[in-house]
Amino acid sequence: MARYFAGRLGQSILLVWLVLTITFFLLHLAPGDPMARYDDPEMDPETVEMMRRQFGLDRSVPEQYARWISNFARGNFGISLRYNRPVSELLARAVPNTLRLTVVALAVYIILGVALGVTSAARKNSLFDRVGTLAALIVYSIPSFWLALMLIMLFSLKLGWLPSSHMQSIDAASLGALELFRNRAAHLVLPAFVLGVASAAGMARYMRGSMLDELRCDYVRTARAKGLSEGAVLMKHAFRNAAIPIMTIVGLSIPFLLGGSVVTEKIFSWPGMGSLMVESIFTRDYPVVLAINFIVSVMVILGNLLADLGYALLDPRIAYSGEGGER
Amino acid sequence: MSGGSFFWSAGWARFRKNPRAMAGAATILALYLVAILAPVLTPYDPVSHGDLPEMRHQPPSREHLLGTDKFGRDVMTRMLYGSRISLTVSFLAVTISVVLGSIVGAVAGYTGGIVDAVMMRMVDALMSIPRLFLLLTCIALFSRSLLLVTILLGATGWMGTARLVRGQILSLKSREFVSAAEALGAGSGRIVLRHLIPNALTVIIVSATLRIGLIILGEAALSFLGLGVPPPTPSWGQMVYEGREVLLDAWWVSTFPGLAIVVTVVAYNLLGDGLRDSFDPVQFT
Repeated sequence: MARYFAGRLGQSILLVWLVLTITFFLLHLAPGDPMARYDDPEMDPETVEMMRRQFGLDRSVPEQYARWISNFARGNFGISLRYNRPVSELLARAVPNTLRLTVVALAVYIILGVALGVTSAARKNSLFDRVGTLAALIVYSIPSFWLALMLIMLFSLKLGWLPSSHMQSIDAASLGALELFRNRAAHLVLPAFVLGVASAAGMARYMRGSMLDELRCDYVRTARAKGLSEGAVLMKHAFRNAAIPIMTIVGLSIPFLLGGSVVTEKIFSWPGMGSLMVESIFTRDYPVVLAINFIVSVMVILGNLLADLGYALLDPRIAYSGEGGER
Repeated sequence: MSGGSFFWSAGWARFRKNPRAMAGAATILALYLVAILAPVLTPYDPVSHGDLPEMRHQPPSREHLLGTDKFGRDVMTRMLYGSRISLTVSFLAVTISVVLGSIVGAVAGYTGGIVDAVMMRMVDALMSIPRLFLLLTCIALFSRSLLLVTILLGATGWMGTARLVRGQILSLKSREFVSAAEALGAGSGRIVLRHLIPNALTVIIVSATLRIGLIILGEAALSFLGLGVPPPTPSWGQMVYEGREVLLDAWWVSTFPGLAIVVTVVAYNLLGDGLRDSFDPVQFT
C-alpha cells in the first residue's frame, strides 16, 4: 500500500508540473501585452523598458519559462505587475481567508448533506423524501451568485440580521476578543452557507442512494430481526457502512468548492484568492494568475489523493494495480 | 448500430412514462419557442433606453409585468431576449465540447499505448484546474465577445466527455463486430467513425444533456463577474448583476432573471436524468 501511494504521489507531482506548463504557455501565447497599460505619454519610455526588463518580459518565451519554472520550484512566485510586490506576499494574505471560508463551507456541506440524505433514506417515499429530493435538484441548479443576492436581500437588507459583506466590521479593532469572534462568525454565515449548500445537494443525493443500498442488505434484516430499535439499525449499522465514501466525495468536491469561492468571494467582498483572481484577470497580472492556478490545482490534486486514501483506508477490499494479490 | 430501432423505441416508451423527464422536455421546448418568438411576445425593445428618469425602476405593473431596470427597459422583454443567449451559447458550447471530447477520447482509446497515456495525462492536468479558474485564465487573454464566451465554455469542458468516450471505446474495441470490420479491411478512421462512436452515442448524448445546465450556470457566472457577453446585449447573468445595487428599491431587476436561470437549468437536469434512466438504465446507476 505504501508503494501504491508513493506511485500516486509521483503522478501528482507530474500533474502539477503539467498544469504549470499548460497555464504558462496559454498565457504567453496571448495577444495582449501586460505592459500595455503603461502606454501612457506621461510615462518615460525608459522607465517602461526598465520595468519590462525587471519582470523578464524582454526575454524569449522558452527562456522565461525555464526561469519561471525553476523559480517556482524554489517557492518564488515572482512579482505582481500591478502591485509591484512579491506574489507570495499577496497570497499569504488571501489564502488563509479563502481557507477560513472553505473550511466552514465544507462543514455546512457535510452536515447538511449527510443529515438530509440519511433522513430521506430512512423515510423513503415519504413527503419529506419527495420534497427533499426535488429541493436537492433545485438547489443544485441555482446560480450561487443569485442565491447570495436573494439571501442578502432577505437577511441583511430586510431583516438586518446578518452583515452582507467583508470579513468583519469596520470598527472590529475596538472589539474585545469574544465580541470580535462573534462579529467574524456573523460575517461567515451567509458566504459559507452559499458556498456549501450547492455541494450539499449532491452529497444528500449520494447519501440517500448509499443508505438505501445498505438498508437492503442482509445484515440490516438480521439487526431488525433480533429486535434492535430502528434508530440503532440506521445509525449503528447502515450509516457506518454508507458513510465510507464520504471522505472520497469530499476529496473530489474540492474543485467545485474552490470554483464556487470565486463568485462567493466577489459578492461578499471577501478578500480571498477568488477575489484576487478576478482582480488579476482584469488587470492581466500574469504572475498572480499563474500562482493562483498553481495553488488551486495543488489543492485539487491533494483532494484526489485524499479521495483515493479514503477508499483504501476504509475499504480493505480495494486492490491496487501493480500490487496484485501480494497484500 | 447494434440494437437497432427496438433500442430507441423501448427507450422512448420508458421516457414517455417518466413525468419528470417529460416536464423537463416540455419546458425546454417552450423556452426555445419563447426565444424564437421573442419579438412577437413583447412590444418593447430589449436594448434602447426608456424615457429617463421617470421610467427608471418602475415596479411590476400591467404595462411592465416584471418592472423596468435602471435604463427604463422592460425586464420581461430583456428576459425573453436573454433566453436566446443562454440557449444558443449553451447549445453551441456543449456541441463544441462533445466534438472535441469525442475526438480526443476516440483517438486515445483506439490508438492506445503512449499516445493514450500522454493524452490522458493532459486531460488529468486540465481537470485539476477548477473550471472557473481555467475559464478566467483563458478569458484574460482576449477581448470580450459572444463568440469568445461560447468557444471558451466549449473548449474548457470537453475533458469529461473525453474520459467517457475513451472508456466506451476501450470496452467496444475488442468486440466481434470491430474485429469483423478490421478483417474486412476497414481503416481505423472508418472503424472509429462508423462503428465505435455510434455505439457510444447514447452515453455521449446523456452526458451532454446533463452538462448543458452547468454551461448555462458557467455563462451566467461569467456575465455576473463582468467577463461574459458584453452589454447592452441582454443576458440573464448580466441582468442579475445589474440589479445587485438596488435589491431593496427594485428587487425585480435581479430576482426574475435569476429565476429564469433556475427554471432552465432544472429543466435540462430533469431531461438529462430522464434520458439516462430511459436509454441507459444500467450504465450510470
